[in-house]
Amino acid sequence: MLLEVKHMSLSLKRAGKYSKILDDISFYIEQGETLGIVGESGCGKSMTALSLMQLLPEKARLEGDVVLQQKNISKVSKRKLEKIRGNQMSMIFQDPLTSLNPLQTVGVQVEESLILHTKKNKKERRERVLQLLNAVGLPRAEELIDEYPHQLSGGMRQRIMIAIAMACEPQLLICDEPTTALDVTVQAQILELMNEIKRETEMGIVMITHDMGVVAEVCDRVIVMYAGKIVEEAPVIELFGNPKHPYTQGLLASIPKLGRRKEKLGSIPGTVPTPGSMPTGCRFADRCPHVMEICRSVTPEMIQIQKSHQTACWLYDEKEGNENATTRSHELEAALHN
Amino acid sequence: MPLLEVTNLKQHFTTKKGFAGNKTVVKAVDGVSLTIEEGKTLGIVGESGCGKSSLGRSILRLVEPTEGSIKFKGKEIVGVSAKEMKELRKEMQIVFQDPYASLNPRRTVRQILEAPLIIHNIGNKIERKELIEDLSGKIGLRKEQLSNYPHEFSGGQRQRIGIARAMALNPKLIIADEPVSALDVSVQSQVLNLMLDLQQERNLSYMFISHDLSVVQHISDKVAVMYLGKVVEIADVAKVYDTPIHPYTRALLSALPVPDPTHVKNRVILEGDLPSPSNPPTGCTFHTRCPMATKECREIIPPLEEKESGHFAACIHV
Ligand SMILES: Nc1ncnc2c1ncn2[C@@H]1O[C@H](COP(=O)(O)OP(=O)(O)OP(=O)(O)O)[C@@H](O)[C@H]1O
Ligand SMILES: Nc1ncnc2c1ncn2[C@@H]1O[C@H](COP(=O)(O)OP(=O)(O)OP(=O)(O)O)[C@@H](O)[C@H]1O
Ligand code: SF4
Ligand code: SF4
Ligand SMILES: [Mg+2]
Ligand SMILES: [Mg+2]
Repeated sequence: MLLEVKHMSLSLKRAGKYSKILDDISFYIEQGETLGIVGESGCGKSMTALSLMQLLPEKARLEGDVVLQQKNISKVSKRKLEKIRGNQMSMIFQDPLTSLNPLQTVGVQVEESLILHTKKNKKERRERVLQLLNAVGLPRAEELIDEYPHQLSGGMRQRIMIAIAMACEPQLLICDEPTTALDVTVQAQILELMNEIKRETEMGIVMITHDMGVVAEVCDRVIVMYAGKIVEEAPVIELFGNPKHPYTQGLLASIPKLGRRKEKLGSIPGTVPTPGSMPTGCRFADRCPHVMEICRSVTPEMIQIQKSHQTACWLYDEKEGNENATTRSHELEAALHN
Repeated sequence: MPLLEVTNLKQHFTTKKGFAGNKTVVKAVDGVSLTIEEGKTLGIVGESGCGKSSLGRSILRLVEPTEGSIKFKGKEIVGVSAKEMKELRKEMQIVFQDPYASLNPRRTVRQILEAPLIIHNIGNKIERKELIEDLSGKIGLRKEQLSNYPHEFSGGQRQRIGIARAMALNPKLIIADEPVSALDVSVQSQVLNLMLDLQQERNLSYMFISHDLSVVQHISDKVAVMYLGKVVEIADVAKVYDTPIHPYTRALLSALPVPDPTHVKNRVILEGDLPSPSNPPTGCTFHTRCPMATKECREIIPPLEEKESGHFAACIHV
């Protein structure tokens, strides 16, 4: 296992008091696997990424364990952490302009982590920088290294971010909405590049996005988040074909699909609760079409309902009993359709 | 007769650049012709900077068009007086992308919805109250919520308030500029459903501007695809999406990530980025990225022609 996150919780201070932003998050990533994290705005996707990197706002309270390559990194020193960041894991942000330094040339910024993390000399570093820029599909690398971020387009900047993140061949790459700010034809280029990286390296990738299209395209397995908690986890085909949690079902039903025109879309009434005012029990209860009495008082735990498919919802029973029930209902359905 | 008929509309902006103050001209809209029928939706798609918003604003004369004709119900509106334009605005309304910025934070929802009615002298106080309560019911707000301020609502609710405000004067045409782009999908679908309901109920026409291909596909009857200020393809929604003609439309559609992991992709990846609108390529402006480009494409400006019945595209090679 490349990364294992165990019972991670995060509290941030807002308006003088702490509120829980992430609540008991557990997941894992295998080598070479791309894990998608989806959910709507404010559900805690970025905070999950920043918690893994431990790049959190001041006074943040982070609990739980993050185990990267068999090593618990949640309790290591700042210095060690800096070694890990950029070397073993690195991150790509949504907005490449704000995460690049406007006053430094492209070359200097790509070179930076090579200086930090490798023993390469100046000449070797320059070679590696050029090689990286080529690898991410940037033309005229020789000239580009002396240019500044504002001279480049959004797509080129994001390629540079990827080059920086890839510089030391990390085992884990965390991407927070890497294509959201880009036009669709440029997004296609970047997704193609990411797929290429996937094929050529054994890197694990965390892909954070709110775009179900992007998830379907690049992810192997998916985690669905709602209001700071994980509510469902499944392989990508299973999740789209057989969503279990009412939130996931609602989310998928709201997406306009090609070929269906002017049809009524599914929607989820209401809005996401805010960190300060989380309801007790299931956090989705106020918006859920299947809400029951128990939902409002007791928080549903993640349970395994099928092999590698988990969800946190009172509609489903623990393990075997339910597994039988679902296989049976599948058989029944199949029988009815024949 | 179409409700709206736009012919050869141009919207050029002159900006001064650099220390020398050299003038550059941005041809944000460069010779666009299109029509919108009563009760129908024309979708406008294209990537950032292709001139979608400028087109919408120009049609409502929020910016003065550089050239061309805009006919609303058969009447030319380019050049009409400010007074006449005020009357026309009753029938042509706009909904913006950012529901935060477009609602006055110091007014209650009731005041926001009443403002256009007062400006246009509609009804007495009691009639206006009824109208507003009826409208708020349509967008799913309770009566008590009318005395709340915009910041007390979620993004989706604010956008529905924006739509209700545009609806207050019972217009014929609404130009919606990225009305759902700032919203989460579950909320986006509420707004799209509302727009479709209102259209049916009131026989409204929409010009729906968006960079989101699947949203445009969902709501439109007809679609225009723009590239660098020009319409490169326009036809019924099914024609544009199922049998696109223009190489740009084809690439754009193939670039769209499909929310179905079993979908088999056959992608045309375009090279490079969008050229700057202040310095567009010669000839066919798409030639720098077009997989089918030839030498002629650099010289000839392809006209928008009817390639198949009711299906227009601007390309010399299809
Ligand atoms: N610096 C901060 N201090 C306090 N609360 C914060 C801070 N940054 C974010 N939050 C809160 O943490 C929660 C999770 O935010 P996060 O940015 O992780 O959401 P997200 O899923 O990435 O959303 P989006 O899709 O909009 O990027 C939100 O409720 C947000 O308001
Ligand atoms: N008032 C203005 N003055 C100068 N240039 C302008 C003005 N308004 C728009 N432009 C330019 O016109 C071009 C088209 O802009 P417009 O906002 O219409 O594009 P758009 O298709 O709506 O893009 P987006 O998807 O980013 O909203 C851009 O290059 C823009 O910079
Ligand atoms: S636990 Fe209850 S309220 Fe929550 S999603 Fe399941 S059915 Fe709905
Ligand atoms: S005219 Fe030429 S460059 Fe333009 S779209 Fe057609 S083939 Fe491509
Ligand atoms: Mg985020
Ligand atoms: Mg715009």
